[in-house]
Amino acid sequence: MTESQESHTGAAPLLEARGLTKDYGGTRALDSLDLAIAPGEVYCLLGPNGAGKTTTINLFLGFVAPSAGQALVAGLNVSTHDRESKRRLAYIPEQVMLYRNLSGIENLEYFAALGGQGSLGRERLVEILVEAGLDGDAAGRRVSTYSKGMRQKVGIAIAIAKEADALLLDEPTSGLDPTASSEFSALVERLRNRGVAVLMATHDLFRAKDTGTRVGIMHYGRLVTELSTAEVGHADLERIYLEHVSDNGGPR
Amino acid sequence: MTARTVLKNEWRLLMADRPLKIALGLFVVLLGYALTNGVVWLRFQERTVEATTSGNVERASALRQELEAIEAGGQPSSPFADPRSPRVLGGPSGSHTAVLAPGPLTALAIGQSDLLPYYYDVNIYTNEASFHQNGEVENPLNLMVGRFDLAFAVVYLLPLLVLALSFNVLSEEREQGTLALTLSQPVSARSVVTVKLAFRALVVAAIVLGVSLLGALATGGFGSPGRILLWSVTVVAYALFWFALAAWVNALGRSSAWNATVLVGAWLVLVVVLPAAINAAAGLLHPLPSRVEMVTAQREASNDAVNRRSELLARYLEDHPEMAEGVVADEPGLGALSWAATDAVNGRLEEVAAEHDARRAEQTALVRRYRFLSPALLAQEALLDAAGTGDARFADFQSQVRAFAERWREFFVPAIMADEQMNAGVLADVPTFSLADGDSADLTRRATAPLAVLAGLLALIGAAAGVGLGRVRGAD
Repeated sequence: MTESQESHTGAAPLLEARGLTKDYGGTRALDSLDLAIAPGEVYCLLGPNGAGKTTTINLFLGFVAPSAGQALVAGLNVSTHDRESKRRLAYIPEQVMLYRNLSGIENLEYFAALGGQGSLGRERLVEILVEAGLDGDAAGRRVSTYSKGMRQKVGIAIAIAKEADALLLDEPTSGLDPTASSEFSALVERLRNRGVAVLMATHDLFRAKDTGTRVGIMHYGRLVTELSTAEVGHADLERIYLEHVSDNGGPR
Repeated sequence: MTARTVLKNEWRLLMADRPLKIALGLFVVLLGYALTNGVVWLRFQERTVEATTSGNVERASALRQELEAIEAGGQPSSPFADPRSPRVLGGPSGSHTAVLAPGPLTALAIGQSDLLPYYYDVNIYTNEASFHQNGEVENPLNLMVGRFDLAFAVVYLLPLLVLALSFNVLSEEREQGTLALTLSQPVSARSVVTVKLAFRALVVAAIVLGVSLLGALATGGFGSPGRILLWSVTVVAYALFWFALAAWVNALGRSSAWNATVLVGAWLVLVVVLPAAINAAAGLLHPLPSRVEMVTAQREASNDAVNRRSELLARYLEDHPEMAEGVVADEPGLGALSWAATDAVNGRLEEVAAEHDARRAEQTALVRRYRFLSPALLAQEALLDAAGTGDARFADFQSQVRAFAERWREFFVPAIMADEQMNAGVLADVPTFSLADGDSADLTRRATAPLAVLAGLLALIGAAAGVGLGRVRGAD
C-alpha cells in the first residue's frame, strides 16, 4: 500500500487512480489515468463508447488487472487488497440484475450479507428498500415483476446497506425514464451528503452536470479534460464535450 | 458467514424454482422404482434359495426313509432308482444344491445376480458344462441392459441429475447478470461456486443415500455396516466427480449452452461409449468359444465314450491306479464302465471349458485394465462389490462349488468303481455345501483400487476447477 495523494478538496481520496493503464491485446483501453475522488464528491466520467469508462470501473472493482499503474480504494491497492477494497466499495451496474425468483427483500438480504453486513432483519431490510425509493409493498414481491427503475433502487439499497465509502456507478440511469432518473440522482445526492465518494460513468451530460461535482471527459482511453460542474452550464458542458470527443486521435 | 449466506440463498432459489423441484421429485420417484425392483428381485431370490435349501433337506430325508425301508426288507420304489446304488445316491436324484445366498445389499444392486447362477445342483455328473449353463430363463432385454436398480440409477442417471443441477452454476450467474453484483462483494467466485455446488451435492446425497438407507433398512442390509459405508462413499465420490467436472467446465467461462453440450458429451463418452467400447474390444480381442462348441464336444465325447467304454475303463484305471483294487478285474461292473465314460466326457469338456475360461480371464483382465478410463465402470464395480452382487463373489462361489463337486465325486466314485451298495448310515457322511463368504478384508482390498482411482480423478478435476475458478475475477 502506498500513501494516497490528496484530492482536489484536500481530503484523502477514497477512489484514486495512478497511471492506471489497461491493454487488451494490442489495444490500449485505458491510458495512464490519474484520478482522485474525495469523500462527498461525485465524479462523472463522460465519453463515447469505448472511451475507457467501464474499464476504469472494472479496474476499481478488480474485475480486470491493470497493465500498469494502480487503482486504490481508501488507500488500498485493489490488485493486492481485493477483499478489503471491495468491503469499502459498492457497485451499481447499468442493469442491476438480481435473482428473479426472489423478492427485493431476499435479494437485498443476500447481497448485504455477502457484503459483510450480517443478518439485518426483515424490518431493517424493508426500511432500507423504502429509503432507496422502493415502494414498501413491492419489497416483498418477486423481482421478476420489477421494472428496471425498481431494480436500480434495489441496487442503491444494496449500496446503502453496505455502508460503503465509495460507490461505482456504470451508466446507472441508462434506459430509465426522466422521473426514475431524477429519483436516482436524488439518492446519489443523499449518499454524497453522507460522505460517500461516487464515480459515475455516464453518457448523460445533463445528469452529469446535475449530479456530479466534477466531470472528466474521456476519449480513446485518455482523460482529456476535467472540470468542476459548478463552473459550467449545461450548454457549456455539451460544447466542451463535443470539442474533446471529435475524432482527434485514434486508439493506440 | 459467506457459506451460510450462499447456502440460505441457494435454498431459497431451489424452493422458488418449480421445474427444478419437479426434476428432483422425478428423480426420487425413479429411485423409488429402482429400489422396488431390487426388493422384488431380492424376494424372488430369497424364495428360490429357501426352496432349494428345503429341497436338499427333503431329498435327503426321502432317501433316508427309502434306504431304511429297504434295509427293513422293502423294495426300492424303482429298479432304476435304487438308492443303494452310489450312482443313484450320488446322482441327480440324491444331488445337493449348492446355494449362494443373496448379497447383503442385493436390493440396492442386483448386479450379476440375475445373470450368473446362484445355485447349482451338484452330483457325480456335475461337470464343466454345468458351470456354463444358466438355469434361469430370463427376459433377454433384462439380461442385455441389466435391471433398473439403484446401482443402475446411480451409475447412469445420477450424473445427469448432477449435471442438470450444476452445468450453469457460474455461467447462469454471468448470463443473468448477478455475477457482477456478487463479485463486487468481498467474496471470490471460487468460494461462492464451491458453496453453491456443496449445497447441490448435499441435496443429491441426501436423496440417493436416503433411498439407499431406506432400502437397506427394509431388507436387513444394516447387518453389514462396512458395505453400507462403501456404498455411501462410492455414491458420494461418484457424484462429486461429476460436480467437479461441471465446476471445471464452468470455470472455462463459456456459455451455459456450451457447458451443457460439453457435459452431456462427457456423460455420453464416460458412461455409455467407453464402457461399451471396452466390452466390445474385450469381445473382439478375446472372443469366447461358442457354447455350441461345448455342447458338440459333450455329445461327441458321450458317443465316443459309449463306443469305447472298456478301453476307457483301462485308461481310467491307468490314470487312477488307486481305484484298480476296487474294480472287479475280470468283469468290470456296469457302474465302473459307466463312470469311465463319464470321466472321459468330463475330460473333453474340461479342455473346451479351459479354453473358454482362459478367454474369459483375458477379457476380464482387459476390462479390469481399462475400467480406470471410465468413472462409471469404477463406481459400478465398487457398488456391486458393496452389495455383494459383483463378479468376484460369483466367481468365488463357483470356485467353491467346483471344489464341493470334487469332494462329492471323491465320496461316491470309489463306491461306484467297487460296485458297492450304500446304506442309510452313509447319509450322515455325504458332503454338504457351506459357503465361505469373503470377509471385510477381501471387500476392502477389492474396493481400494476403484475408489482410489475415483478419488484421484476427483482430486485432479477438482484441482483444475479450483485453479480455473480462482482466475474468475469479473463478469466478462
